[in-house]
Amino acid sequence: MATTRQHGLRRTLLAAAMLAVFTPAWGDDDAVARLAKPDTASVSVGGAGISGDPKDRSLFTQYNGLHKDDAYFLLDFDYVKRDDATGTWTIVQGKDLGLDTREVRFLYGPQGKWKVFGEYWELTRYYPRTINTSEQGIGSNNLGISLLATPGTGQDVDLKTKRKRLNLGGQAWFGKNLMLEATFTNEDKDGARLWGRGFTCPSAAAPTPVCSALASGANQWALLMVPEPISSTTRQVEVKLNWLGERFNLIGGYYGSFYNNDYSSLNDTITGNLNNGLGVPMSPALTSGLRGILQLPMALPPDNQAHQFSVDGNYAFTNTTRANFKYAYTHATQTQSFSQGGFDAPPPGRSDLGGRLDTNLAQAAITSRPWSKLALLANVRWEDRKDKTPIDLYNVEGTSTFTNGHNSNEKLTGKAEATYAFPYAIKGSAGLDYESIDRDQFVPTDQVAGLSGIRQKTYDRGFHLAATKTMADDVTGMITYIHTDRHGSSWLKPASGATTGVFPADPDCTSNGANACIYSRTAIFPFIFEDRKRDKVRALLDWSPMEKLSIQLSGDYGKDNYSAPTEKGLDHTRLELYGIDVGYQVNDTTRLTAYYTYSEQTLKVAHSTGYIADLKDKNNTAGVGITGIAGPRIHWGGDLMFIHDNNQYNMGLDSGASAQNIAYFNSGLPFIPDATFRDLRIKLFGSYLLQKNSDIRVEVVHDRTKLDEWQWGYNGIPFLYSDNTTVNLKPDQNVTYVSVVYTYRFK
Amino acid sequence: MRSTRHILQILAAAGFFLLACATQARAEELGRKDVVLRGDAKCTRCHDEGDDYPVLAIGKTRHGTVADGRTPSCTSCHGESETHMNKPEGVTERPKPTVVFRGKNHSTPEAQNGQCLTCHQSDAKRTHWEGSIHQARDVACTSCHAVHTGHDKVRDRTTQPEVCFACHKEQRTQINKPSHHPIPEGKMACSDCHNPHGSTGPKLMKRDSVNDTCYTCHMEKRGPFVHSHEPVSEDCGNCHNPHGTTAENMLKARPPFLCHQCHTPHGAQVGQVVGQGQTQPFAGSPLLSGTTSGKSGINYFMARGCTNCHTQVHGTNNPSTTNPTPQFNFR
Repeated sequence: MATTRQHGLRRTLLAAAMLAVFTPAWGDDDAVARLAKPDTASVSVGGAGISGDPKDRSLFTQYNGLHKDDAYFLLDFDYVKRDDATGTWTIVQGKDLGLDTREVRFLYGPQGKWKVFGEYWELTRYYPRTINTSEQGIGSNNLGISLLATPGTGQDVDLKTKRKRLNLGGQAWFGKNLMLEATFTNEDKDGARLWGRGFTCPSAAAPTPVCSALASGANQWALLMVPEPISSTTRQVEVKLNWLGERFNLIGGYYGSFYNNDYSSLNDTITGNLNNGLGVPMSPALTSGLRGILQLPMALPPDNQAHQFSVDGNYAFTNTTRANFKYAYTHATQTQSFSQGGFDAPPPGRSDLGGRLDTNLAQAAITSRPWSKLALLANVRWEDRKDKTPIDLYNVEGTSTFTNGHNSNEKLTGKAEATYAFPYAIKGSAGLDYESIDRDQFVPTDQVAGLSGIRQKTYDRGFHLAATKTMADDVTGMITYIHTDRHGSSWLKPASGATTGVFPADPDCTSNGANACIYSRTAIFPFIFEDRKRDKVRALLDWSPMEKLSIQLSGDYGKDNYSAPTEKGLDHTRLELYGIDVGYQVNDTTRLTAYYTYSEQTLKVAHSTGYIADLKDKNNTAGVGITGIAGPRIHWGGDLMFIHDNNQYNMGLDSGASAQNIAYFNSGLPFIPDATFRDLRIKLFGSYLLQKNSDIRVEVVHDRTKLDEWQWGYNGIPFLYSDNTTVNLKPDQNVTYVSVVYTYRFK
Repeated sequence: MRSTRHILQILAAAGFFLLACATQARAEELGRKDVVLRGDAKCTRCHDEGDDYPVLAIGKTRHGTVADGRTPSCTSCHGESETHMNKPEGVTERPKPTVVFRGKNHSTPEAQNGQCLTCHQSDAKRTHWEGSIHQARDVACTSCHAVHTGHDKVRDRTTQPEVCFACHKEQRTQINKPSHHPIPEGKMACSDCHNPHGSTGPKLMKRDSVNDTCYTCHMEKRGPFVHSHEPVSEDCGNCHNPHGTTAENMLKARPPFLCHQCHTPHGAQVGQVVGQGQTQPFAGSPLLSGTTSGKSGINYFMARGCTNCHTQVHGTNNPSTTNPTPQFNFR
């Protein structure tokens, strides 16, 4: 700040004064204009090169548009003009125009009166792994599958998804308080995504004769990689009429969102035999039953749409007491015709799902400062999603018949908090938190799939404490503590066999018979329903021991302890995080920043077949950045980022483990190995001012990545799909990127 | 000759005097003239771009668009600052302005934000600022925004995350993991999903819920479907960490560990990866043979895990009533 300086003539004024004497009158305006006017017009042209081939750089180039080619043309432009007399802005900008991540945007209009704006944007995401396969038709919804004679000898396929988005919008003020705004977004998405299908016979889901065991009584199964074709359009329209006053803001709005998929189903045709689990052709060959199942059409995401009408706003009762609120009604439907997908027969008389979800949302909050040292806050939010989709008999499995279900959900959340300003510039907050979810009654004709128990309602109650020191000292800090305790309504046991619905669970298996015996030793209860105790602590400390130096220390600790009627399923999750950030102003022209963060996340899951997984993700992330100016012409800088992420899959057996698992465990063979990700990225840049209105910028990025994991292979042995398709990633990737860009600024 | 020189000297002196007077008069005129904002003359006579806190660049911003009658003067934000303008006698150090936004002696966050909200309270995107977690935890507008510059980092997609990471360290470690949204690449920013100025959604979500926010780009997951998967329609965050993970698809844990948090798994095999001797006999029989079940330890741990077979984990609209029905989200 200039508070210690003497008042007097300053540089701008002196310059302006001199200009006033020795140059024409426009001179002073010109000097100030350079400092205070936004007007700019520039074009940047250049080239970039990147080392290796796409497989050598697939992790680095997932999103940045540098995947496919080794050299790129770079083109950006920037035009900003403001007509000061009318306050009219004209902005046209283009970025990355030579890449497949190009962006163009514009804005035009007198500020405070009206404006129109738009953006065209492309983004291509390349799946970093390469697929080697003999499959035909990838990217379409008709695939041809046949056994590749030798793994790795098929065609290499790179999957990608490309988004092309167009945003258009406008805003107009009618008088001081009334404003209308509207936006429209259209996004086309094309490409293919890694997907798959598999089945094993015999199966309870496909009883004989559809899916039989081999004559020997053994199984036959297959897994196939079937990329999901993507060719869809998303459209969103939003219109808001705003009344914006000094004390009262009221916004009425409509938001429509529409999804349209060009494909309804994915179909594949399997020619010939497939391999068994040992990687050799099945013998006997692929049965017609399993082949038929693997060739059944797979549904692709259906067209759907939603219309939301809302009103929200806020009101200032006084300068210290304010409220805000929102009410929204959303009507969402999904009525895509079943006949489009070539599926087997739907329920008689039903041509589409008739899916309908009606959601009511209401929210209100009030904040008040009854006196200067005390602040109060209360917030309540209620959201009720009613699934009104017709119920019909979608499942006929031999004698077991049942319907679809409903996905209703009523959520109530609330919060009350008081904050008091204590002496010594310390603020303390204490509050209560509440959340309840009611998933409505289970549809009695539906059948739960793959779960041991469910709950209709859960209640989360808790409190939080916070202390902050915010005033003008060298040290500022904040610490928060959150505790919540989740319970729920009685557990419900899914019916089994041909029975539908759920039964109230009974630990003694007496009142409701065998169907209520939920507490078998191996039952797993979904974590979203389980009782949970959550504790979280967060602390931040900012210290500025001198004007040039700032240090920030941060720490997070959180633990969720889960409990259910059995010891199986999710036991706990935990997070620890510690970090330090440092900023140092080396001199007037050079600034240095650095940070280091260590985090450890734990997930402990007990598997019902007798093993316990204790997963740990240990992460070290560090960064150093420096920027500087060397003389009047050179700007320079650099960043270094390092990340080391180690995922450990610790496994143990419990007393319920099978003899085979115990034997395997005791054999000394490795279990699931660690998955490790390392990335060291160095970026250096420098720009040189060639002339007053042009410069040249050079950027060099070197990235060394290592992803050592077992998902698609281990120790050089690939995971083989049944047609010998493999999915590969070069684990060590070193890539260097160099760009040179010339920028010319028009006067 | 001497007198002529003397006269010339007097004339020259007079000329310089007049010129100096003219210069001073012009300077004073300029000194009283607003440079950028309405009424900024009393400030810009001392403060300019050479200051420790440069001020003129505000002219490049929307705050500096004077033709818009709503734009502020210096004192709209910093207060009238009488003692700062006219240093009281006997005071050695000039008092600070009424409201100070940066530096050691900055004003309280309420005082700072109060100045901003004078105008921005009547702003459609900030109707839910009061009561939001950022407001309740005393986050000042200037903690994120730089007003006196043509380039406010937090309003630029490529530089915004580094502003947010000043507090959100966990997310900084996550965005550089191999499975991430294109945030490090500058193609997405925190504000594409979050409204830091308050919202009706949890976690300051831009739309009314986590899922409604995700659907703006991933609408194919919305359904409703013939066969739904309840945790999916309840909260995408049950399974995904949108800030980044090492597991593919930003899954919080690799299947089957993720799925086993809810589901009773079939198959009785402990987790395995290929090439670990599964064809050797264990307790009398090998874990893997030409005709063992497809539900082997390898098949539900490797590749896509459980979703190798349960492909439609987000729900399926397959209406087929015949075997195998899609109820387990196979197809």
